[in-house]
Amino acid sequence: MRRICGIVLGGLLLAGGLAGTVAAGDPKEGRKIANMCRTCHGLDGYARVPIAPHIGGEPKEYLEAQLMAFKTGQRENEMMSVVSSGLSAQQISDVAAWYASHTPVATLPDGVSAEAAPQACVSCHGADGISQLLDAPNLAGETNIYLDTQLKAFKRGQRQHEIMSEVAAALSDSEIRDLANWYAVIQLEIEIAEH
Amino acid sequence: MKTKVVGALALSTLLTTPALAQDNMEKLTNMQRTDATFTFIEQEGESADSLRNIIPHINVPEGFEVSLYAVVPDARSMALAPQGTVLFAGTRKDKVWSIVDRNRNRVADEVKDFAPSVTFDIPNGPCFSPDGFLYIAERNRVLVFPAAEFFFESPDIAVGTVVGQGDLIPVDEESFNHSARVCDIGPDGKLYISLGQPFNVQPVDKIDLYDEIGIGGIIRINTDGSGREVFTRGVRNSVGQDFNPATGELWWTDNQVDGMGDDIPPGELNRQTAAGQHFGFPWTNSRVVIVTEAEFPRPEGVEFIEPQLELTAHAADLGMRFYSDDSFPEEYHGGIFWAQHGSWNRTTPVGARVMFTALDPETGDAVGAQVFADGWLDEDTGEYRGRPMDIEFLPDGSMLVSDDFAGAIWRIAYNPEQAG
Repeated sequence: MRRICGIVLGGLLLAGGLAGTVAAGDPKEGRKIANMCRTCHGLDGYARVPIAPHIGGEPKEYLEAQLMAFKTGQRENEMMSVVSSGLSAQQISDVAAWYASHTPVATLPDGVSAEAAPQACVSCHGADGISQLLDAPNLAGETNIYLDTQLKAFKRGQRQHEIMSEVAAALSDSEIRDLANWYAVIQLEIEIAEH
Repeated sequence: MKTKVVGALALSTLLTTPALAQDNMEKLTNMQRTDATFTFIEQEGESADSLRNIIPHINVPEGFEVSLYAVVPDARSMALAPQGTVLFAGTRKDKVWSIVDRNRNRVADEVKDFAPSVTFDIPNGPCFSPDGFLYIAERNRVLVFPAAEFFFESPDIAVGTVVGQGDLIPVDEESFNHSARVCDIGPDGKLYISLGQPFNVQPVDKIDLYDEIGIGGIIRINTDGSGREVFTRGVRNSVGQDFNPATGELWWTDNQVDGMGDDIPPGELNRQTAAGQHFGFPWTNSRVVIVTEAEFPRPEGVEFIEPQLELTAHAADLGMRFYSDDSFPEEYHGGIFWAQHGSWNRTTPVGARVMFTALDPETGDAVGAQVFADGWLDEDTGEYRGRPMDIEFLPDGSMLVSDDFAGAIWRIAYNPEQAG
């Protein structure tokens, strides 16, 4: 496991490098920018449409790195590539700070034990889908099709990440759906922060 | 080498998880039982009450009344079975819902998932053949369920594959956005399926591939999956289509490019008069130029067909239906109703309403868009109460409107005495 953590740190440093000189984000400023996000992600970061992930209470570093990846074209999405192109590094930091300031609360379904969680995922994403690392997203309560799509994107090289590309490459499509289902049925609530 | 550890770990863990739903297709094809069970959606109680609280906000023309037909999570494109007993609604998740009004009081009494034994993947688009075969167009597969309106009561149901997994589009072109398919059986008995292209504007190196496959287009196939042709070219992402029952022509809506400004380019309602017509994308959206011919060489010998109507930019025109019943006033007969889902990134949100256009009796062209029903968008806060996605009609000629935001199907009926 120690080896894995080493790699994760490497990934984090890369992500930090990408985000460049970004300063501390201001969640109050970010709240204003979030008006651009809320039709899909909600003001609290609880997604309103299946194609968007929940982002409330996500690590700020992860949100920033993804927005920068969309902005630079390293990651592509029909909607996010458009949205991120208009944001400055400071605005990205601010909006990431807004969404990161909320608190995610994940609850496993009745009768489901955390020990049954997919071991390939838990060290970074938690058994309940709450991120254990700055470079990993929360997965709790995401639509299974969203998670399925992301895993397949890693598998096919449309999305790249030092760890995820390797993990996903070893998975069959039905294994991917089973992993997606594990995290999709977890109940997620987001406690909105006061600013 | 370090990352190999993770890969090996993943593999060994996964081998211990049970192989699930994917295997069911084989069992079902062989008429074997599975252990699948239904999910039922509560039709009364708190969520139905809060949905009913939206109704006073909805504005409809005089003489019409709005009611809650069913509580249906994520309800998208709809198809009413030929006998009129069961409505099917797709989702952008993994469920298709069956919606039954047994006592015909125009309020659904049972909503449950259809074919829970099948692992669906964005089963957005259900459509029926006149003889009762239910087709479901998914992200990358098309299934058929014979006599679905009689067999839907069983979780294990006869199913066939029209287009196999991964054969609708190349798997490398799969995405989540722009993957909500719609389908229809045409007057020629063929199956017409829209294939949105996954980008805002596709890169130039995808143009030839997409044009050949029909991504950013509408394809047609025989109902056994053979004879695939690209029927419509130059589409960005169409999520609504219907054949004009009077002429047999296909009409469809399209969603246009983001990031050019709040008021361009316009949304589109299109009329197709011949197979293979090209509607301009990505070179043009209506008369707005999207990419330059210097960067994107224009296909030779191709005329771009202009839309029938230019619609409010970014309002997201989706599901549409011709009105061929007679319980609505005569001005609506033979016209088109369609759902505007509402904008996602316009400075001031717009849409979330039901639109209508009549057709010119001489030319058959659309005469102009008018708002038929609105109020799902709270103009003061810019927040959605609901987002209309598709239109269907009950046997009594009343309208159903699916709403994937509120998780509802609304009914709009003409009832001048009741509505006052």
